[in-house]
Formats: sequence, C-alpha cells, structure tokens
Amino acid sequence: MKTIALYSIKGGVGKTASAVNLAYLSSITEPPTLICDLDPQGASSFYFRIVPNKKYSSKKFLKGDTKIYNNIKGTDFDNLDLLPADFSYRNLDIELLEEKKPQKKLKNNIRELNTEYPFIFFDCPPNLTLLSESVFTASDIILVPLIPTTLSLRTFKQLLDFFKECKLDTAKIKGFFTMFERRKAMHREIVKKYSGKKRFLRQIIPYNSEVEKMGIYRAPLNAVRPNATAAIAYQELWKELINEIGQ
Amino acid sequence: MRTSIEPEFFSISDTFDLPVFLRYPNTPFSFKAQPLKRELFHCYDTFDWKAWNKKTAVVICRQQLSLLDLKNGNAINSSAFRKTPRSFFPEDIAEEKTASALKTLSKLRAFIKLGSVETTTKTWHALDENQKTVAFIELRSIVPQNHKKAQNSVAVITLTPVRGYRKELEKLADCLAQNPAFTGETTYRNFYTAILDAAGLVPGSYSSKPSVTLKPEKTIQDSARKLLLSPLEVIHANEAWISKNIDTEFLHDYRVAVRRTRSILAQLKGIFPPEELSRYKRAFMELGKRTNNLRDQDVYLLQAERFRNLLPPAMREPLDPFFMDLRNRHKEELRVFSKYLRSEHYRLLLQEWQSFLDDDIPSEPDTTPNALRKTSNVAVSSIKKAWKRVIRHGRDISRVATDTELHALRIDCKKLRYLLEFYAPLFPAKALQKVVSQLKVLQDNLGVFVDLSVQQNYLYSYLSNIECAADHIPLASSLGGLVTALYNERETVRMNFHDAFDTFDRQETEDLLNELFNHYR
Repeated sequence: MKTIALYSIKGGVGKTASAVNLAYLSSITEPPTLICDLDPQGASSFYFRIVPNKKYSSKKFLKGDTKIYNNIKGTDFDNLDLLPADFSYRNLDIELLEEKKPQKKLKNNIRELNTEYPFIFFDCPPNLTLLSESVFTASDIILVPLIPTTLSLRTFKQLLDFFKECKLDTAKIKGFFTMFERRKAMHREIVKKYSGKKRFLRQIIPYNSEVEKMGIYRAPLNAVRPNATAAIAYQELWKELINEIGQ
Repeated sequence: MRTSIEPEFFSISDTFDLPVFLRYPNTPFSFKAQPLKRELFHCYDTFDWKAWNKKTAVVICRQQLSLLDLKNGNAINSSAFRKTPRSFFPEDIAEEKTASALKTLSKLRAFIKLGSVETTTKTWHALDENQKTVAFIELRSIVPQNHKKAQNSVAVITLTPVRGYRKELEKLADCLAQNPAFTGETTYRNFYTAILDAAGLVPGSYSSKPSVTLKPEKTIQDSARKLLLSPLEVIHANEAWISKNIDTEFLHDYRVAVRRTRSILAQLKGIFPPEELSRYKRAFMELGKRTNNLRDQDVYLLQAERFRNLLPPAMREPLDPFFMDLRNRHKEELRVFSKYLRSEHYRLLLQEWQSFLDDDIPSEPDTTPNALRKTSNVAVSSIKKAWKRVIRHGRDISRVATDTELHALRIDCKKLRYLLEFYAPLFPAKALQKVVSQLKVLQDNLGVFVDLSVQQNYLYSYLSNIECAADHIPLASSLGGLVTALYNERETVRMNFHDAFDTFDRQETEDLLNELFNHYR
C-alpha cells in the first residue's frame, strides 16, 4: 500500500482538484483506490456527490479500522472509493490531543485497509496542526501543490523547516506547480528555476478554467473532460509520480 | 466500486416492461439509462460438467475468459482471452492464476465449448437526490436462438449496490418487488441454466457413473439388466467423442464402461442363458482389447513431462523422438479404432446387446437357475465372496510380494470395487463409502505398481527394437535411465504394499462389511 497526501499550508492551490484527479487516474492504473477526505469543508466528497452517513463523525474516524471501513462509500467510478469528511472533522485536532500517540494515529487507523487498496490518497485541510503531523507520519509521499509565486515558495520552505525541526523525512515531500499561467513572467521564472529540481516534480498543471468547472460536473476532470489541458497534465503528472514510486 | 459486492438477482415475467416501470417510478430515485450492450456468451465446461458440479460457470465473453461463481455471478477469476476455441486445457491459458483456477476444476479433462448464446444487457444508474449513483440495475435477456421459440425468453434483473449504499438498494428492491410481474428473487445459477437451456443443454446430464435405482426385492435378472444398461449409456455417450481426440477421458470412461459390463457379466452366473452370456463376454473382452494400446499411449503422453523430469536435464532431450514416435503411433491407433467404431460389426454388436437387455427372457430352471433370486441376496453373497477372496489372496502374499501376486490381487480388488459400486443403492451409504475409501488405498497402491510395471515392459520392448546405429545411443541411454527410475519407484511402491493391505485387512473394515451384510438379515 502506498499513501499519498495532497497537502499545503495555503488554501486554494489545487489540493482537492489534484487529489480527485490523481486518485481517479490511480483507480484506473492501480485499482482499487481510496480517497480519504480529511478536510471538514468536504470538497472532495462534494465532487463525488457523497454525503457521509448521519452517524459518522470525527470520533468514529479516530476509532479506526472497522468504523472507517463501514463508512467507505463507492464513487460513481469503478474501483474508486471515498471516505467522506464530516463537518465534525473541524474538531479533529482537539480530539487528537487526547490520544496517546496522536502523530501515529492515522497510520495505525488505516492499517487494515492496506490489503484492499494499493493506493490511498489523503485530501488534507490547509493548515499545520496535529492532524497534519499525523498525516505526515502516515504518508509515503506528501504532494504539495504550489502556485508559482514567492508566497507559495515561502510556505513550502516553512514546511521543509518544520520537517527538519521535527526530524521528519523531508524526502517524502514533493512539490509541483499548479495554476501556471504562461503570460505571467513571475510564473515562468519560478517554474524555470524550480521545476524538476530537488523536491520538485517536473510536470506542471497549467491554469485551466475547466478545473473550476469540476464543481459543476461534480466528477474528476479526467473522467468528464479527459482532453482538457489540465486533465492531460494530470495524466502526465501521475505517470511521473508512478515512475518515481517505482524507483 | 462494484467488485466485492454481492448483487441480487430477480426473475421477471415476460409482461414486465422495466424501461416503462422506471419512467414512472414510485421510488425516491431517478434513473439514468446506459447504452444497450449485446454480448455473445460462449459457455464452456468439461464433458462431465466438472465446473458446474463445483458451482462455477466458465465463460468467454467480451474477450475475457471468466470463472463465475454460480451463486452470485461474481468473477472468481478473469483474464484476457481473444479466442473462442472448440476446446482448451487449463495449461493452454497463459495467465497463471486463471490456469491454476481451471486446474482446480479439472486436471485431465478439456473444457469444451458447449454453446454460444447472445444476451442483451441494459443498465440503469439509480441516482439519489444528489444525482449520486447508489445502485446499478441491469436487465439481462437471452436473445432467442433461431431454432428455439421465443416463448422461453428469460430475463433477469440484477441489482448491484454501490459500496456504502446498502439501505438504498433495499429500498429499491422493495419498490421493484411491489410490481406483480416480479416473480421473486433468483440466483445467477438459474440465469446460467437458462443460458444453457437456450443452447439446448442440460447441465449435469453426463456422468461416468450414472445412478441406477435398484430395489432389493426385485429379481436379480431385472436388476442386472438395469446395471448393464447404465454402462451402455456411457459407451454411447463417449463413442462419438473418442475420435475427436479432445482429451483422454472419453476413451477412459468408455473403457471403464466396457470393463464394468464385463465384470457384471462375469459375476452373474445362472442368470442369463449361458450361450448368450459367453458370446457377450467374449465380445466385450475383444472390444476392451482394441483400446488397450490407445490407453497405454494416452498414459505415456499424459506423463511425458513427469518422465522427462525423472532424468537429469542433459538426458531429457534425447527422449523427444520417443514421444514423437508414440504420438504417431497413437494417431494411427486412434484412426484404426475410430474406423472400427463406425463399422457395421460394432453397430450390430451394440444393437443386439441393447435388444438383449430390453428383452424379457423367461427364466428356465436348467439354463438360468438363479434368475429369480432376490437382488439383495445376490448382492450380499457376491460381495461377501469377493471380499473373502481379496483377504485370502492378500494374506497369502509373501513378504517380497511378487509381480504375479500383486497383479492377481489387483484384479480381485477391482471385482470387489465394482460390486460395491453396482449394489451401492441397496446399502447404507455411510458404511459403504467407508469401505470403498479403505479399499481405494489398497487399489491405489496396486494400480501404481501395475502401471509402473507395464511402463517398464513397454520401454524394454521399445529398447530391444532400436536399431544399433550410433545416433541412437543418446535415446537408448535416456530410455535406460527412465527404466531405472521407474524400477526404483516401483520397488518403493512394492515395499508399501503390506501397509496398504493392512489398512484394508482390519477389524474396522470387517465390521463395516458385516454391517452391510446384516442389512438384509
């Protein structure tokens, strides 16, 4: 089992779009795939039109294994399942504090799932909290989407510093650029300087209004508009990632 | 996700129009139709329905070879397969997992294409208020074949839940069930039966041991006729297939049926007129003889790989001409026997045999003094006799156990085995089964011993016919190696004989047999 987190301290950088599209591509090439929506806003759940069961909450999530297992729902796509987020997830940080080893909680809770899913994706909320730390421990790869701006790069550096400070494995972190606009000089310069370099993937996701329309389609872009420029870019990104994992 | 979730099957009557039903739903769901799919279903099974008997369907559909669980239609195993051959063996399948799954169903028998049936599948997605798919509804119908009337058209509705939406599925099933055209829950097995029916097939219709109903109080002549008709059925069922050379078991079943016939004839004294009896005894003995070489060659070719592996790698290749030669001989032998099967001589023999069995011969005290004895009495006395013979001869076997002794005992065991099987319907199944399984241990030992002896003898005679040319030296040395290996194996089997005999010659078996004998006291 490989676990991939889509994570960024900043919001609005394309975490959910990336998680949904990459998980969809994974469900085709490495079936079956599970996507865990960890963001109380429940954006990826929304994209798949999935509402959590009424009795599902952050408490059940923290109990793990069977409680998680029973609340997994099938998406409209073969071999792609989703663990929906509940609004109660906003309290996950406080609840994690009461656990014995909060950093290892997520890793232990999903252990049972590894026989079923070769790939699990985490769609994370935008902050740096105890839940984030738990995600860092549980993930094999931490994918960080970045808009090619100085502010984004600054938060990326903050993340790396945090990892070093906490003695976490920085090799897990892989940045990649999203919402790239060729007409902007700053975007071009930053991409040229960092893309494909240490801790950065080569493939970039261009800005594409189709990505925003995912909220209307309520489906992965790669499923409904596979020829959109961003969809093609996600496909390439997935290939690059699988390649890296293989190595 | 649709896999690993058990679908539910419902059968419906012809009058039920699902598309119309879905257009005016009384359900909290809306339905989205998917394009109609037409599929050609190629059904496979072994001649003796091994897959069906293990609750599995083997089908090729949409370029996929699949093993389906007859309970729920789920694929146990599936792999890409572009052809639809007339028959195939598990080892012909490249995908390893599929090949081994097929092997667990059948090791020796080929999977034969039983028939092809066209089906149509229409799928709807059941959507909840968020337009999220919560279940799939599939309407599958069998397109009536040309030669079949449309009245037997069969349709099945399958409801497949999406993971995490079980309650929604139950709600949907309830809504559907309220329709009077709904004839209730069914299984994939019923649907598959309908597919086979459309192809004109009855699953499980062949067995190498057809069941015979015997009544203990009926006369032995009456029962003997029934017992003899059953192997005749097997003979007829297999004869057309033997010449097609699809697998070795057509001939094997055929031979067993001939041997059973001979065995019954040999056991029944004073039941049929002696002249007729001896005529048929001879005829079936000759028929059996005609197949001996073919069977021996079959066994060799089946074991070709094993024989090769008995030798060191360098000595394996020189065996190739030997197997090639064997294959050619087999071809020729099969041609001769197939020709015989089509001959007037053969046709007349079986015809006369059939009418002999159908005729009601009056019992005459001179020629058929035993004809009117009760079946149960004859069964008990002949099993008792055969068993005592096995025990007596077995105990006489010396510590070294000579070839002749073991050969003879093997025949005794076979006779007892057949008797136990013939008269099985008359006795308590549990005790009888136990005796048979204990006897089987002994028979296996003797069977392997005799097979290894026959094989060695064949190799000896083959060796003595090899020309004294230099290029035959590698072949000769490989054959020599093989003889040695087979000899060593046979001696191990010989050493184990007494242990095998002891599992049969003991108090427990005697008690079980006495239980059978006392059944008609």
